[in-house]
Amino acid sequence: MNSRSLSFRLVTWYASLLTIVFVLLGSVTYLLVRHYLEANLLDIQARRAHQIADTLVDSIARTGGAAVAYEIEDLYSPEANDRFLRVTRDDGHLIYASGAPKDRSFVPGAVPLPSLNRSREFNRKEELAGGDLLIATVPHRVGEHRYLIEVGVSSAITEATLDDVVAMLAVGLPVAVIIAVAGGFVLVRRALVPVDRIARKAEDITQHNLSDRLPVVRTGDELERLSVSLNHMISRLEDAIQTSKRFVADASHELRTPLTVLRGELESLAQDPQLKSQTTETLGSLLEEVSRLSGIVEGLLALSRLDVGEAQAEWVPFDLAELAATTADQMSLLAEDKDIAVVCEAAPSITVEGDRARLKQVIVNLLDNAIKYTPRGGTVRLQISRQDGFAVLDVADDGIGIPPEALPHVFKRFFRVDDSRSRDKGGAGLGLSIVHSICTAHGAQVEVSSVLGKGSRFRVRQPLATATHSSI
Amino acid sequence: MRILLVEDEKKLSELIERALKAERYAVDAAYDGLSGWQMADAYDYDLVILDLMLPSLNGTEVLRRIREKNHKVPILILTARDATEEKVRNFEAGADDYLTKPFAFAELIMRVKALLRRGPVIRSSVLRVGDLEVDRLSQQVKRAGKRIELTAKEYALLEYLATNPGRVFSRTMIIEHVWDQSFEGLTNIVDVYVRHLRSKVDDPFPSKLIRTVRGVGYSLGESVEV
Repeated sequence: MNSRSLSFRLVTWYASLLTIVFVLLGSVTYLLVRHYLEANLLDIQARRAHQIADTLVDSIARTGGAAVAYEIEDLYSPEANDRFLRVTRDDGHLIYASGAPKDRSFVPGAVPLPSLNRSREFNRKEELAGGDLLIATVPHRVGEHRYLIEVGVSSAITEATLDDVVAMLAVGLPVAVIIAVAGGFVLVRRALVPVDRIARKAEDITQHNLSDRLPVVRTGDELERLSVSLNHMISRLEDAIQTSKRFVADASHELRTPLTVLRGELESLAQDPQLKSQTTETLGSLLEEVSRLSGIVEGLLALSRLDVGEAQAEWVPFDLAELAATTADQMSLLAEDKDIAVVCEAAPSITVEGDRARLKQVIVNLLDNAIKYTPRGGTVRLQISRQDGFAVLDVADDGIGIPPEALPHVFKRFFRVDDSRSRDKGGAGLGLSIVHSICTAHGAQVEVSSVLGKGSRFRVRQPLATATHSSI
Repeated sequence: MRILLVEDEKKLSELIERALKAERYAVDAAYDGLSGWQMADAYDYDLVILDLMLPSLNGTEVLRRIREKNHKVPILILTARDATEEKVRNFEAGADDYLTKPFAFAELIMRVKALLRRGPVIRSSVLRVGDLEVDRLSQQVKRAGKRIELTAKEYALLEYLATNPGRVFSRTMIIEHVWDQSFEGLTNIVDVYVRHLRSKVDDPFPSKLIRTVRGVGYSLGESVEV
């Protein structure tokens, strides 16, 4: 998966946040559980201490310390219950201290004595070598003496419960994160499906199908807004391109009248027999430029007419192979003039549908181009063949070729490979873009391949006419 | 022969008028649609040359009104717009011919002549220019009594030039008549064919018939000065 894709980034963020939240929640749970368990345990110890204080220590004046110690040992047997028990008088005299517990979880002698002058009960946690000891301490006054009753228990009991909690969190947390991430991933993916569709459709939109629009999913969300805004943008683009196309058409129309006047005036001047030969030369040169200008205007008009889809005016099925052969024949003298051989290899009867005159212009322009850029004595090869449902027209020459960096631009209007080589050949740079526009209007593709110094090949692929049409 | 010219571009109008007058036609010019229609309504013209984009009343409307009243007068449309659809519409409205700007004046004159000659067109089967004979039936060419072998295209080119001796034909006109519109812009093909034609028709003979007018085109005629 693409690590920069929106879904990946969203899910990563989501997973990280979720993990942090879960870890925090887990820690808080752990601490709370520990606190609760310890508080509970200490509470039990404290109650026991009170019990000892009320029932045994209270009567110490009567019974004496040894009797109290005996009673404690007898009633509570702290060693057997893994408990710590100590009774100390405020002058430091030890009344009773429990022995080592059965499970040896702590050493009673190592438990330090708290300060003896405290008058309120308190809890503490002693960290010993064998583990922590939770101790509740209850002071009890009898006569002029105060006795400190300490009851403790190893925190190992709570540790075991806490270990369970940790284990549960350690397993449950990743599982929860995985489930949440997987769910999130599916959700994000589903939410982003329209983005994919919009992107794919947007890829397909070029200047030739600007009337197409992106799919709008009526969900009322941001994606709907995005696709609607994009569609508005495409509309504005369409308008802009339409305007520029109309401008080209209008400008070309407007240029025609002045060009007619210019040509007419110059022609009538040029035919005056009394002119000096130098003037005639100048007039001739001017007329040639007017012709070139007219050529460009005509070319632009032809292109703008193709842009608005006028090529469909005369749509008939015809034999492309036959058209190619006659066109090549008509142009053979042009090639002969440069000692160029035009070889035409046409498979029999390849029927396509379209505007015959326009497709002829494709062949004429491609052949003219090939002849122009092939040196004296070269060969131009015209091939018409059938390839899985397509009529393929190939015009190949062994001429000067086209540099690779120029190849993607040869069909653009007014493009020249380099100014020096074609201006003297009289090209305006519109011939190949006319070829391209005609092909587009016919649902055909035209492509070019070339090796500099070896020659170029132009290939037109047009769908064959369907059988029902070709039989008419 | 009286011709009505309805064209709002003053300069173009004057130019056409001059060219037509040089051919000895009487020309009345109107510069907008309404006066054009009024003049066409008031006088009997032998031909109307009508621009389509006119102020006050557009050309299509003028065409419609003239046709409503007078079915016979030939009408030649001049236009800067050449969309096929529009062409068809105007022919349906009664236009006899259609010329797209920029046009060569030779073309205009030829169209005018063709329209005015409509009806019994006498076309001799043999065209003669000096000592050159072009037989349109057998498609054979002779010069000074000697037969000249020409290819089909060379013949078509020569015949076209021979229909109007002395007139200069532009390369575009030649392409449209001898080839077809697909070859538009390929004017060098004309030069190549003319060169071939010259080598057969002119080179073996002392006087040259095919004349090049630089920037304009070619003509066929006896008096060769250049």
